[in-house]
Amino acid sequence: MKYGDNIIYMEGVIVEIHDGCVGIDLKGRLGYLKIPMRMLITDYELKIGQEVGWNMSFIEQLGPEVNEKYVSNLETYQKRQAAMRAGRENASEHEVSQVDIMKEEEE
Amino acid sequence: MSITAETAKAHAKDPAVLCCRAEAGITIQAANLEDPAIFDDLVESGLLNLDGVLTIEQILGSKLIKTCDSLTPVTPDVVDSYKEAEAVPEEAGKADADEAAEEAPAAEVQSTSAAPVQMAGGVLKIHIDEGKGIDIELPMPGAAPAAPVQAVVPVNAAETSGEAPAAKEPEPKLIRSLTRKHYNITEVKRGPETKIEGTTLYIREGIEEEAAASQELVHSLKIDIITPEKYNQYSETIMDVQPIATKEGESELGSGVTRVLDGVVMMVTGTDANGVQIGEFGSSEGILEENIMWNRPGAPDKGEIFIKTEVVIAAGTNMERPGPLAAHTATDVITQEIREALKALEDESLVVNEETFNQYRRPGKKKVVIVKEIMGQGAMHDNLILPVEPVGVLGAKPNVDLGNVPVMVSPLEVLDGCIHALTCIGPASKEMSRHYWREPLVLETLYDPEIDLCGVLFVGSPQINAEKFYVSKRVGMMVEALDVDGAFVTTEGFGNNHIDFASHHEQIGMRGVPVVGLSFCAVQGALVVGNKYMTHMVDNNKSEKGIENEVLACNTLCHEDAVRALNMLKAAMAGEDVKAPERKWNPNVKANNVELISNVTGKPVELVANEQSLPMSQKRREKYS
Repeated sequence: MKYGDNIIYMEGVIVEIHDGCVGIDLKGRLGYLKIPMRMLITDYELKIGQEVGWNMSFIEQLGPEVNEKYVSNLETYQKRQAAMRAGRENASEHEVSQVDIMKEEEE
Repeated sequence: MSITAETAKAHAKDPAVLCCRAEAGITIQAANLEDPAIFDDLVESGLLNLDGVLTIEQILGSKLIKTCDSLTPVTPDVVDSYKEAEAVPEEAGKADADEAAEEAPAAEVQSTSAAPVQMAGGVLKIHIDEGKGIDIELPMPGAAPAAPVQAVVPVNAAETSGEAPAAKEPEPKLIRSLTRKHYNITEVKRGPETKIEGTTLYIREGIEEEAAASQELVHSLKIDIITPEKYNQYSETIMDVQPIATKEGESELGSGVTRVLDGVVMMVTGTDANGVQIGEFGSSEGILEENIMWNRPGAPDKGEIFIKTEVVIAAGTNMERPGPLAAHTATDVITQEIREALKALEDESLVVNEETFNQYRRPGKKKVVIVKEIMGQGAMHDNLILPVEPVGVLGAKPNVDLGNVPVMVSPLEVLDGCIHALTCIGPASKEMSRHYWREPLVLETLYDPEIDLCGVLFVGSPQINAEKFYVSKRVGMMVEALDVDGAFVTTEGFGNNHIDFASHHEQIGMRGVPVVGLSFCAVQGALVVGNKYMTHMVDNNKSEKGIENEVLACNTLCHEDAVRALNMLKAAMAGEDVKAPERKWNPNVKANNVELISNVTGKPVELVANEQSLPMSQKRREKYS
């Protein structure tokens, strides 16, 4: 890393709390961070709206190359997600049509 | 920052450097000096040159004869007088550091063997080699932030063990035994019912629907049977690897007879209904053979068949506690049916191997406890403790619900699957359910004739610091009540669990009990906190670069780490010091220790392979090129 030593103090706000993770909005609309619980040091009971701080450097590209493995994983992942969403929508449509049929039959 | 008189005393033999501008004519006191803990950084960045510097004990009370700026090293030309450096400690003589490390133990064993182990105060030892290299041995300073932990163990295990009184040795006492009957499986097929025929396991068709229906949150469940030819397939993040085992007859977990299937393991994977990974962070999804570090205690062995479930849970529940638990429970419906089939087997000729684990207490030997810190922050940071069946779900209590308080189990309960691990992240350092089934530190300590292993203490790692210290204090009290001579503290992965890890060391160390810590640290997992009791550390890292490399179980506790830790604890209990850690993670420290251990014990320590042995994915080629 060329600029890794340049450490900047950052602040953010906890905007999401789950059992296993928290979501943090970086102040100044500089981004959003979702981290597992174990990466957060907690001195108080967690509440939405609490402010957090940490040191970080700018994020640098490590090189111009594209890592095909990550691309392929990402594509597989997105394809699956799309398929699952489509599956759920179909299923709910199916339920509706079933209800319609039943209504028709009753009539 | 100036230092207190107490710190000055602790650092008496460290270089004296002025912390702020000082006028000529003042008498130098501790308050004029800088904390030596920060010197390494300053020297490295070229801001400080310690050539010819005097030590703190040499110049305290001397008069400054020149006005100096801050961060000026105190050299003979700026003070009116100074005390002569003390002679180098006699046992080290003029030998160089390496020789000293090897020679010192033999001499020290003689002197310390009669004295009780004194760790609480810490011992400071400094060796100044003709003003050129300064050689420091001291407990890791409490303030040291993010110190990469690696320490050198002076190997004296053989000497100390030889000194144990031979006369009137009390007999080891057998507490209980556990027998594992192994059944070999070479083929897994689907069929009309779940059964085992010879070496073929049949899984009932349609069991998926029942497994899915058993949990409200589970939408669907799919079973894939992964044979070695299919190792090159894509898989979702591996959430857990579990042995398939059951108790025979009336046997209870941790004793009696356990039947286990060889050649096949359960593997839990899954997503939520939107297709988001359940173990969303540090995912190990991808081609199986590129992502699994084979033969680690917690990982599948190469050649095994995986019964892989792909569980789909309700959308958005992947980060809430019920979500991952439902995925595990649904998978266990299938495992349980296999367990029933295994229980029903009557043909003893199918048993290919039988092994018996005996739990001995060894009165008169050094009494040792293993404290294993497990995740308890919530959701995919949870563990089920003490199920009825090995690595089952029924009867178990999640440690989050137990309040993460310490739970004492027998070493045989650990080896019999008393932990069902729900932990998901990160893949390289996660201890899977199978890890406990083959826990190397428990095995190594249990079978060491010089050690009296009294039990394994599981303690959860809660999220909030106040709770962390609450459970840690209970660990301290339990260790005090146990009256042990030494303790191990282990943890998996890195993150805020290192806060309790440090606190456990403190709680145990302040009671005068030597403690050896095991964790993944290296580069990425460098400790976030430290204290003066964290002097003996074993790093579980195996990866080339010292990072979370996304390869399942790569950086978990292995046999080689157990051997190092055990030898280190023996040295610590004999009152040996360890060298201070190097400033940055250095894999050679481990290599040296392993060599020292095998030289003394005469047994070579076999090192496991790391990710370099796997087919090189594009990802790793880039990371490591």
